[in-house]
Amino acid sequence: MSGSQAAYAAVDLSVKLGTLELAYPTLMGSGCYGSGEEFAPFADPAKIGGVVLKSVTQRPRLGNRAPRLVATPSGMLNAIGLQNPGIDWYLEHDLAERVPRPWKTIGSVAGFSVDEYAYVTQRLAAQPEIDAIELNVSCPNVAAEGETFACDPKLTGRVVRLVRDTTEKTLIVKLSPNVTDIAAVAREAEDAGADALAVINTVRGMAIDVDTWRPRLGNVTGGLSGPAIRPIAVLAVYEVACAVKIPIVGQGGIETVTDALEFFLAGATAVSIGTANFIDPRIPERIVEGLRAYLGERGLLSIGQIVGQANRGFAGAHRCEGREG
Amino acid sequence: MLTNQMPTAVHATTVLDRTEPAPGIVLLGFYAPELAAVTRPGQFLMAIPPGGERTATALGIYEAQDHRVAVLFFVCGPRTRELAGLRAGDGLEVTGPLGNGFDLSGSPRDVAVVAGGIGIASLLLPVQALIASSARVRLYYGARSAALLVERDRFAAEGCEIYCATDDGSYGRRGFVTGLLAGAEPRPDLVLACGPTPMLRATAAACSALGIPAQLSLEETFACGVGGCWGCVVPIDRNSAQAPRFPGPDEGGSDTVNARVCKEGPVFWAHELRW
Repeated sequence: MSGSQAAYAAVDLSVKLGTLELAYPTLMGSGCYGSGEEFAPFADPAKIGGVVLKSVTQRPRLGNRAPRLVATPSGMLNAIGLQNPGIDWYLEHDLAERVPRPWKTIGSVAGFSVDEYAYVTQRLAAQPEIDAIELNVSCPNVAAEGETFACDPKLTGRVVRLVRDTTEKTLIVKLSPNVTDIAAVAREAEDAGADALAVINTVRGMAIDVDTWRPRLGNVTGGLSGPAIRPIAVLAVYEVACAVKIPIVGQGGIETVTDALEFFLAGATAVSIGTANFIDPRIPERIVEGLRAYLGERGLLSIGQIVGQANRGFAGAHRCEGREG
Repeated sequence: MLTNQMPTAVHATTVLDRTEPAPGIVLLGFYAPELAAVTRPGQFLMAIPPGGERTATALGIYEAQDHRVAVLFFVCGPRTRELAGLRAGDGLEVTGPLGNGFDLSGSPRDVAVVAGGIGIASLLLPVQALIASSARVRLYYGARSAALLVERDRFAAEGCEIYCATDDGSYGRRGFVTGLLAGAEPRPDLVLACGPTPMLRATAAACSALGIPAQLSLEETFACGVGGCWGCVVPIDRNSAQAPRFPGPDEGGSDTVNARVCKEGPVFWAHELRW
């Protein structure tokens, strides 16, 4: 091992979200990575910080009708519609039959009422296999209700407050970009007891087939992901990082280490990789190696040293020594 | 239908050959002995984009023999254009084999294979397997025009009887290939089909009327290709062996469930589809 490689190996990429300790600051985005097992043959599970499972609701859901996907410039639209077997079946089968993996497992909870969020969270968080909970209050693809929560700061606060009482585990609240003031929603979530914020969910969008004169998605509207939304996501992280002290999981179109670095510099403590796994499931481990090299080359010892460095208004509680500006 | 229990992996391959059997249709062969060894008829692969942009492209596996795997595809957008630009010696990473594949376990003796356009790309491997098991194989092959009826000689050399239809009448019968299938005498005891969705629906209807079991290889937009995103679903009978395990009827007592075309499929029994 050369001197520089030895230096890179010493770089600390571990981060904490509430009490959740991640060996790497990389999560696999909910809905993009199944249960993790679908990708296990192609990715190195030891190089993944955590997997956010597909969202589960109280009752089974068939999901939206096809087509559910449309390729768009630099991204894609999806409208899956939270297809899932419901919490009972999910715990009895999906989770019970899960293969143990070195990554941290974050359960994702979706719902249509404040009580449903609390009920499903309580059930899911009680499982020893679940290391943390992500509250999906921002799914844009389920009629009107799904996104209502994250689009109303007061409602976000109510959900988070009630859910907070059901578990001690780290609670990550996933915010919607489809709002006027994402910082206001972020503050409500923090005040209500969120441990971390996932920023952002997909951006609402639509595509139309000019031959059939019909929307291309079965659900008519969908959520846009991929590099097309990256600048929107970076700004959202930047704004939220000025407004709250809790850590942020930055996400939206991350495909390379450079993309990931933008999010850290804007104020994210960790990043989440979603659509990029559809290009190549080895992208997350390349990002981890890229971060290690980036920090090592600059003589930096930990990822925390760059968090928020491009953000003059950065309010994070974990401001690191040596931070400039 | 068979389930995919074969070792699936990312394979780093090298392009061996590239030809254009018709304008806009490319046959790309590459060195992939491990992939060739485990591929079953009807499976597909995901080609990781050489330029690193855009999602991977799902392609039916056309040939798989010894050290070589080949895909046959229609150039219809930026992703296939990028693949079409590859030349012998270029590197190409592919993930596969993926999906289930055709179920040929019932020892069918007389099989009709229905191909619509580039759907032919998923049908050479089952044809070879059937002929190797001494089954009679009739290929019903439709396309927009004569030039797009690619690889006919190849299928003839394998020992198929071939019946063609074209939209413009430039080769074979004018009209849809499903019209040829409806008149097949004697009736085949199994139908395999791959092509555009309207053709598959017509094939399913024709086979239902004739009482012939049919397996359809569906076309759908994929994102992940490995069952992780639930983006490529088709409703099927909840009691199908292929139905993803799911709790009992819900949401209005539905007897259907959304199956993933990439994971539970892409091949489904026509009579179990609820599309």
